[in-house]
Amino acid sequence: MSAASTSPSSASLQPVPSRAGRGRRWSALTQAPWGYLVPAVAVLGALSIYPLIQLVRMALSDVGPTTVVGPWEFTGLTNLKDVWNDRLFRESFRATAYFTVVLLIIDLVIGYIAAAMLSSTSSRAASLTLRVMVFVWALPPLVSGSVWKFLLAGNGLVNEILGLVGIGPVDWLSSPDLALLSVSLVAAWASLPFSILIIHGGMLALPRDVLEAAQLDGAGFLKASRFVILPLMKPTLTVLTVLIILYAFRSFDFVYVMTLGGPGTETTTLPYLAYDTAFKTFEFGTAAAIAVISMLVIVVVSIPYVISVRREAAL
Amino acid sequence: MIGIGKRLGQVVAFGLLVVYLVPLAWIIVTSLKSDEQVLGAPNSISFTPTLSVLRDVFGDASSAIWTSTRIATATTLIVLAIGLPAAYAVARIPTPGWRRVVTAAMAVLMVLQMVPQPMSVIPLFSLLARWGLVGTITGVVLADVALLLPFAILLLRPFVMSIPEVLYEAFDVDGANAVQRFRYLVIPMVANGLATVGSIVFILSWGEFIYATTFLTEQSKLPVSGLLARQTNLYSVSWNRMMALAMLTSLPLVVVFVFAQKRLVQGLSAGAVK
Repeated sequence: MSAASTSPSSASLQPVPSRAGRGRRWSALTQAPWGYLVPAVAVLGALSIYPLIQLVRMALSDVGPTTVVGPWEFTGLTNLKDVWNDRLFRESFRATAYFTVVLLIIDLVIGYIAAAMLSSTSSRAASLTLRVMVFVWALPPLVSGSVWKFLLAGNGLVNEILGLVGIGPVDWLSSPDLALLSVSLVAAWASLPFSILIIHGGMLALPRDVLEAAQLDGAGFLKASRFVILPLMKPTLTVLTVLIILYAFRSFDFVYVMTLGGPGTETTTLPYLAYDTAFKTFEFGTAAAIAVISMLVIVVVSIPYVISVRREAAL
Repeated sequence: MIGIGKRLGQVVAFGLLVVYLVPLAWIIVTSLKSDEQVLGAPNSISFTPTLSVLRDVFGDASSAIWTSTRIATATTLIVLAIGLPAAYAVARIPTPGWRRVVTAAMAVLMVLQMVPQPMSVIPLFSLLARWGLVGTITGVVLADVALLLPFAILLLRPFVMSIPEVLYEAFDVDGANAVQRFRYLVIPMVANGLATVGSIVFILSWGEFIYATTFLTEQSKLPVSGLLARQTNLYSVSWNRMMALAMLTSLPLVVVFVFAQKRLVQGLSAGAVK
């Protein structure tokens, strides 16, 4: 950032002379930077921040199907305690953790290897692959979820191909043992391109001479990764890890599209549980408690990320 | 670059290409099958393609397409109209005191972006119910605006920051007031940014289905994405119709991807990182 753009320009601070009182107020609004922030503050205050406060209030109140609009009876920590001790909540927490781990393994490990390989070939094949993958990543999850629902169906393409080598139809989405893995893998498939993009970008920014020195010293891929590339890319990979965890805690779309939380409650992740509790049984108080606990996890996970981004990019 | 064989790299690239291209191809191939074809041999690739299902689905969905268009257009216009002034406010730093405001605002925006949508929908439902907006497109647009505005501000900010300070000074020398400076300097200089962010907001609000299916309870009022979401929850899914709706839901993305791929990717990944 150049000095010129951050140093206050004294001219821009002078209020414009105005004719009347209303004019003066208007010019104060348009002249000072806060005037331009007013509409956004109003909209986000009413539609984002106020609802968040309401969510916390809901979590502390008895809100059922008939009292959605209010008034709500304050019940303190009852909802939060009930949710915390609920078996289904624990299972959903475990399902979300499982989902997160699958995503982390695939996105980081396969993402790293794929990014390294894509950057070692500058061929047209590699750039075409990247382009297709990025398109898939930009697709609405609703769309990619529905095509995988078809591909993984009993008579879908995956089973048809497995049938050719004599492996008989697998219940990818309806077997209690496999459904959560299948949904996690599809979510990993959809988020891997982003991870490759980020790691690939990080690799391109590595100092060339250091890499060449490692090569001259006879380091292969594994050694170079272990001693040179991974340590240099630690900041990138840390941010990416946090982003993947955050993404996993938003894991709703693929569950909604492919399994509706089933079979049984096998694929019910926390966001799905919160949504389902709110809009199937209309137990808004309980649903809000689930949401609040999940969001506390999100806040804890994202603290290092917010700090690092703020330090790098805020000013 | 890092000592991995070129041959191996090409094998990986090809493998990934197959894993990502086949599902995309499957959307198109399946939507070209008739009901009998998709029931008889759902995975066959030797069949006589027909446009009849696509024509059927697009015809049935015409009111949904209109709803999607209205929701996405209104959301995009409102987000840009509110987001650009806000981005301008947090990009210009005239005083040390304002710097603190900007830092706080950026942190709030980042936190707001992390609230999972299936959770923010819970209090929003009660709020919109109180305002009598459940079941209306206005309700969906308001929710979409709240969802995408933080993202748009964070994305527009660097565009405003890239305007050279000398240009502001030139406008000051010419005696332009603040409104004129915003109108004749900032808006034209960030036209590219507005186009990028505008298309991303349009794509995202077109594909949004959580708010749409929750707030619009009547089938006839649903946008395209809502129809697709309902279709995936049916007991007997007709795959060809579902894939036709999937195509319709991805249409704006395809159009933008064809014309402005590079900018779209940069914008989307910046949005995901920040």
